Amino acid sequence: MAAVGGFFFETYYLGIRTTRRWLRVPSNWISILFFPLIQLLVFSQLYQEIIQLPAFGEQTSYLAYLAPGQVAFTAFMAVAWAGYGLIIEYRSGYLDKLRANPIHRWSILAGEMVPLFFQAAAMAGILLVVSALLGATIVTGLGGFLLILALSGLFGVCLSGASFIPALLTKSEQATSTFSLLLFPIVFMSTAFVPVALMPGWMQMINQWNPMTYLIEAIRSLMVVGYDWSAISAALISMGILGVILQIATLWAFRRLGL
Amino acid sequence: MNQTIVRPPAAEPTASSRPDFAIETSGLVKIYSGDTRALDGVTFGVAQGELFGFLGPNGAGKTTTIRILATLLRPTAGTARVAGFDVVSQPDEVRKRLGLAMQTVSLDAFSTGRETLELAGRLHRMSPADVRRRTDELLELMGLTSVAKKLTGTYSGGMRRRLDLASALMHRPELLILDEPTEGLDPQSRTALWEELERISKAGTTMLLTTHYMEEADRLCSRLAIVDTGRIVVEGEPAELKRSIGADTVVLQLEATDGVLDAQRAEVGRLLQDMVEPDGITPHPGGVALAVPNASSAIPGLLRRLDSNGVRIAGLQMSQPSLDDVFMKYTGRHIREEAADQPIIMGW
Repeated sequence: MAAVGGFFFETYYLGIRTTRRWLRVPSNWISILFFPLIQLLVFSQLYQEIIQLPAFGEQTSYLAYLAPGQVAFTAFMAVAWAGYGLIIEYRSGYLDKLRANPIHRWSILAGEMVPLFFQAAAMAGILLVVSALLGATIVTGLGGFLLILALSGLFGVCLSGASFIPALLTKSEQATSTFSLLLFPIVFMSTAFVPVALMPGWMQMINQWNPMTYLIEAIRSLMVVGYDWSAISAALISMGILGVILQIATLWAFRRLGL
Repeated sequence: MNQTIVRPPAAEPTASSRPDFAIETSGLVKIYSGDTRALDGVTFGVAQGELFGFLGPNGAGKTTTIRILATLLRPTAGTARVAGFDVVSQPDEVRKRLGLAMQTVSLDAFSTGRETLELAGRLHRMSPADVRRRTDELLELMGLTSVAKKLTGTYSGGMRRRLDLASALMHRPELLILDEPTEGLDPQSRTALWEELERISKAGTTMLLTTHYMEEADRLCSRLAIVDTGRIVVEGEPAELKRSIGADTVVLQLEATDGVLDAQRAEVGRLLQDMVEPDGITPHPGGVALAVPNASSAIPGLLRRLDSNGVRIAGLQMSQPSLDDVFMKYTGRHIREEAADQPIIMGW
């Protein structure tokens, strides 16, 4: 029990440090928000007529269709480079210095990962507020708003392994950021921009396995329809599978680091 | 040649629970992947309260030894105990008692000086009140109070070193391990840091430091080991090591014209025969070089005898063997003060 208590204690203090490190560099959150905001503002105007296609059903505003995808995309952006800080600190020797303290090595990883929940949720929240100001609805109100933040945060933590793994395995900033770019197709091939009915068959197949799509559909239901628990649980299950696979690999890669 | 290798007395089990040696290693070997033999059987002991130095060129194995002692690296073979605890099987007990400052000062650039110390204190489970008190105390001690609220990324090299040292001292460690503590500092900051280290040492903290600066080893360390290619080549007190190399040198410039210089040299040789080492008189441009056991006490006598025999001296220089001479004797090379640019060793 003492060991578990120590783990939470250490994670808390190390997490405060990583959060500070993140907050004190404005380009961190600017670079997360910029792309989704631009897409929200520009695409909602550029493709506004697309909403007349029958596949969009009863939806009448492309902005309202687009917003959930951009909220999810923000959570994606918030963690796409999550491994970067860890690897820079590994190379600078800072992690060694942390390790010379009487702390559990897993606390160091947890101190990186736990704050990602709050970062992804907060960033997604900003997109959500902007979307609402532009006219998108959140029919489930405050409860739905908070649930969307929680889903976004969880998704962020689950997906973060996709950046931690290349970071820990290559120990190279370049490789880590390049790998993050390779993840972008899961966003563009999701239902962020058009419903799955408008996609070619192969892309529809892929979307059955795309965790991004499940998250977007859950957020979309909360914004447009109401509490659709089947969509929400599908999102939770898909990110659960994603999280277990990626984070087990992350733990393995972190262990391999030999701290 | 009288080769003085001082080994710590064999570590007999003692009745007291506090170990005699703050650091005790036996046959440490480290082989990195590939075939790099970084350590090749390093055995030494550092007594409680001692300021022990590891002197050697870059790549000699100093940092590898430090990393093993600081529980950051597992030895391939051999054992090491720090503050009485085995570094491999009881790393947390070692970490609680150890303060570490590494060669490359790595601070979190986005934390302030105060936050850096507070985190170190918290991770060592100090109480919040104690953390605050100790942080204030160390910031004051290291002259960092005025920049305590600035991000460490804005600090100068000397400030970074001092903050790093403060963070190593935060939890009042029994034992301080410093890897090249003054590397990259300007002479003024270096002297200031030396004074600080001397103060910490006098206060009773055991210290192990590595350096490739002879002057630093000479000034600070009560005992030191000279390391080269993963081995300790000799160990002892700085003065004792220098004495082991042999005599001091006194160079006499003679007032003599070219023609009679050789005759003068012979005369000096005859007069001083009994005062110098055997075969201790060699020609030197414009005079002679004398090898004497202890220059400062021998010089008055030398001069008196020469003067009373009418030999006139134009100039005199004396020099003592340096630690570099010691290094030269045992390794056949000089310690080159080359830049520390070893590749980063990743993982274990």
